[in-house]
Amino acid sequence: MGRPEPPEAVRAAVDRLAPVDLAVGLLTYNNAETMGGVLDAVTAGVARHFPGTRTALIAADAGSSDDTRERVGGTALPAVVLRYEAPAGERVAVPFHGVPGRGAALRSTFDLAQRLGAKALVLLEADAVSVTPEWLERLAAPVLDGKADFVAPAYARHRWEGTISRLLLSPLVRALYGRRLQQPFGGQQALSARLIEHLLIHPKWSWTGGDVHDLWITGTAIADGFSVWEAALGRHLVRSRTRATDLPAMLAQTLGAAFTVMERHGDLWLEVRGSEPIPIVGEPASLGVDPMTVDVDGMLEAFRLGVRDLTPIWELVLAPETLADVLTLESGGHMQFPDDLWARVVYDFALGHHYSVVHRDHLLRSLTPLYLGRTAALVAATRALGAAASQAELDLVGAAFERQKPYLVEHWR
Amino acid sequence: MSDWYKDAVFYEVHVKAFYDADGNGVGDFAGLTEKLDYIRDLGVDCLWILPMYPSPLKDDGYDIADFYGIHPSYGMVADFQKFMDAAHDRGLRVIADLVMNHTSDQHPWFQAARADRASPYRDYYVWSDTDQRYRDARIIFTDTEKSNWSWDPVAQQYYWHRFFSHQPDLNYDNPAVKAAMLDVMRFWLDRGLDGFRCDAVPYLIEREGTNGENLPETHAILREFRAVVEREYGGSRVLLAEANQWPEDVRPYFGDGDEFHMAFHFPLMPRLYMGIRREDRLPITDIFTHTPAIPPACQWCLFLRNHDELTLEMVTNEERDYMYFAYATDPQMKLNLGIRRRLAPLLDNDRRRIELLNCLLLTLPGSPIIYYGDEIGMGDNVHLGDRNGVRTPMQWSDDRNAGFSTAEPTQLYLPVITDPVYNYQAVNVAAQDKLPSSLLNTTRKLVAARKRSAVFGRGTIEFLRPRNQSVLAYLRRWREDAVLVVANLSSRPQPVELDLAAHEGMVPIEMLGDTRFPVIGREPYFLALGPHDFYWFRLQGRVARPVRYGIEESAI
Repeated sequence: MGRPEPPEAVRAAVDRLAPVDLAVGLLTYNNAETMGGVLDAVTAGVARHFPGTRTALIAADAGSSDDTRERVGGTALPAVVLRYEAPAGERVAVPFHGVPGRGAALRSTFDLAQRLGAKALVLLEADAVSVTPEWLERLAAPVLDGKADFVAPAYARHRWEGTISRLLLSPLVRALYGRRLQQPFGGQQALSARLIEHLLIHPKWSWTGGDVHDLWITGTAIADGFSVWEAALGRHLVRSRTRATDLPAMLAQTLGAAFTVMERHGDLWLEVRGSEPIPIVGEPASLGVDPMTVDVDGMLEAFRLGVRDLTPIWELVLAPETLADVLTLESGGHMQFPDDLWARVVYDFALGHHYSVVHRDHLLRSLTPLYLGRTAALVAATRALGAAASQAELDLVGAAFERQKPYLVEHWR
Repeated sequence: MSDWYKDAVFYEVHVKAFYDADGNGVGDFAGLTEKLDYIRDLGVDCLWILPMYPSPLKDDGYDIADFYGIHPSYGMVADFQKFMDAAHDRGLRVIADLVMNHTSDQHPWFQAARADRASPYRDYYVWSDTDQRYRDARIIFTDTEKSNWSWDPVAQQYYWHRFFSHQPDLNYDNPAVKAAMLDVMRFWLDRGLDGFRCDAVPYLIEREGTNGENLPETHAILREFRAVVEREYGGSRVLLAEANQWPEDVRPYFGDGDEFHMAFHFPLMPRLYMGIRREDRLPITDIFTHTPAIPPACQWCLFLRNHDELTLEMVTNEERDYMYFAYATDPQMKLNLGIRRRLAPLLDNDRRRIELLNCLLLTLPGSPIIYYGDEIGMGDNVHLGDRNGVRTPMQWSDDRNAGFSTAEPTQLYLPVITDPVYNYQAVNVAAQDKLPSSLLNTTRKLVAARKRSAVFGRGTIEFLRPRNQSVLAYLRRWREDAVLVVANLSSRPQPVELDLAAHEGMVPIEMLGDTRFPVIGREPYFLALGPHDFYWFRLQGRVARPVRYGIEESAI
């Protein structure tokens, strides 16, 4: 795939700024409300932790209609602003990360970072409102110090937050690639120059595919032997008008991306066995256990509705014994969802996606009641536990995905 | 659940017609047992077995010669027991025909009765020195019988029979008859049978000056039977009444919920055919205005076809003429007051019309009964005499004898269908099983869809009145669930505007494809229907905003 040339004005700006050591990329779309905070944190982070390091901002904007681009121009840091056109199909969608055409934005940002000669590229979400100067340090330092090629975020979270990541994506990545990554779709990340070069010339990085880019990048970094770290960043809060917040869409997008990447990386994960923890920079936070209001009854009701209405689809997706176990999960208003059964359910959905047994969007959305049932079971199981015990409970999920992986491999081929 | 029959789908099958395991040309219980998986996979909950008892078979087994046995061609009581156990293992229930009104003239009771006036069995039957009693009772089999009395030269008296002359009526004024019949019921219930389809129940008692049908004394006997079954066998056995009467006359057979659990809705069936032929919903909606409410624990049984002729007793003369004109072009197709044809031939083998009638069967109030073979669109043979044309061997495959039997074709109890349209090489289970779009698989899908909602078996019905008379639309409700059924009775595409303003804000979800339709508003709801098209919509409460569980903001 050829590398498109950036517009003349952008090339001129790059030529004027290059070379730099550190590039900070912001993928933006109508983020004027939050950009100020992010830019202030970046500016302060550079001043506090990287004084004397040549730094440039790269803003890839999906066509904001507010003042997002102007805000970037107003910062003290030198900046390159690129406006790109998201593919038509992605412009009308509401993605979970809030940035239409995120794949195109990533590729353009990588390209500009390379043209700038940056040794490290830190990507930050433009709608994050909990960014601190220390985020920049923890993400960039392992790369600039030559220890890491890819740094993913690890957030301080409540035990019932991040359930898509903790119950689905993280266990899946752990079983597939053998690394215990906490946030496969982390938003924030840092990449080394050599990883960026590897990605830009990689023949399998397809422009198309909606939301698969982040996971593909992460998986490629792990599978191709790059050094992967995590950075403890504390709380992750966003304020966005452009992110999807309905669970079926979020599930379909994230899990659909994971399943699609499984197709593309079929030659990389099938042989992987076991898993390793990932080195982390900063102090990992323990799980929050303060009171949090979640509608468990609503989740159970959604699960029951799924049993009532979606069984014909599940019959096509789930192995008969797995379906039989699922249909008898709830007893007397209580939900226990064994980890191994959950792993088999997710693997059957991966297989159903692989073999296209049902229209893929229907398939992915039909997982929602099962996910809500599993989440309700998590809440019930950890409600009386402390932080460490809750964490142990979550760790068991990943272990079950590893344990059940031979089932997936056996049926995938 | 004691009222399981309200949600059940029934399947009517004749043992002799289903599968012949021993290769003698007649189906048997061992064969039926082999095919139970097929019946279960159709989505059936309960089988209805036609008479299985020893019989001279002058009326296809409804002339019972021994209430305590199994006809030798079908096996033995031990085979029946194996069949029952295998059915129960699969979660299937079984009810069987019990002919209460009469016996065969070959029954030892009758033989003893006619031979000796002093026999204790003499009074098991209704005798008279004259054939002028009970003259107000109509003759049912008008094609063959001229009187309800026949002279018995041995007994030297006339005996009473409401059906064929070889089927003398039992005398239920004799307490010994009631006791004997209760013992018969106990015998089969003890073997696990889940209930009886009680044949010809309106005629148990005769009284001068009456038509001999639906008499209070008859109801008293039936309530007595129900009480015994309830008391001795708990609440999950079911009694189904065959009372070919108008709904208001059938209504007493439910009593106060203390007589029959279920009864056939006879008049609905011909009106379904009339509605589809006239392309007008009126015959169907009209019969429901004449259908009284029944006790909460009771249920109507609906059917499109059965082992008898398509009975036209419960229609007006004009309606009967119309039905003959529309559905019995060949005089041979007529029998008694009915039409001896199967579902597919009645509908010219038109898939759309067959599916539409199945749609109505499965969605109107009641429990549906599927007649064996109709799920694959089997044909009939009007040349076989009586009602045999609709009782031919089940067509399993394109093998010899339609895969029904390994016997020589000439040994079969009836020949398989071989006509150019419905021949077994073209119409069989094996072929349709493989074809996703076959009638068999479509029927399976419809049955499965029905079973996804309790409204069909338990809900109320409210007919909508769109201006387009060719469109039948009704709302079924049960507790929080509501299902809207819209059917085009016409062979041409039809538009319809439905007044659904009372359901404003609801989202119709089409149940066979799980497709969301536009939200219902105040304006008339517009739908376009293809020829004989139908929709089943589950009305789902509109969610004003996305459902929130408290985990969305930070789920990833």
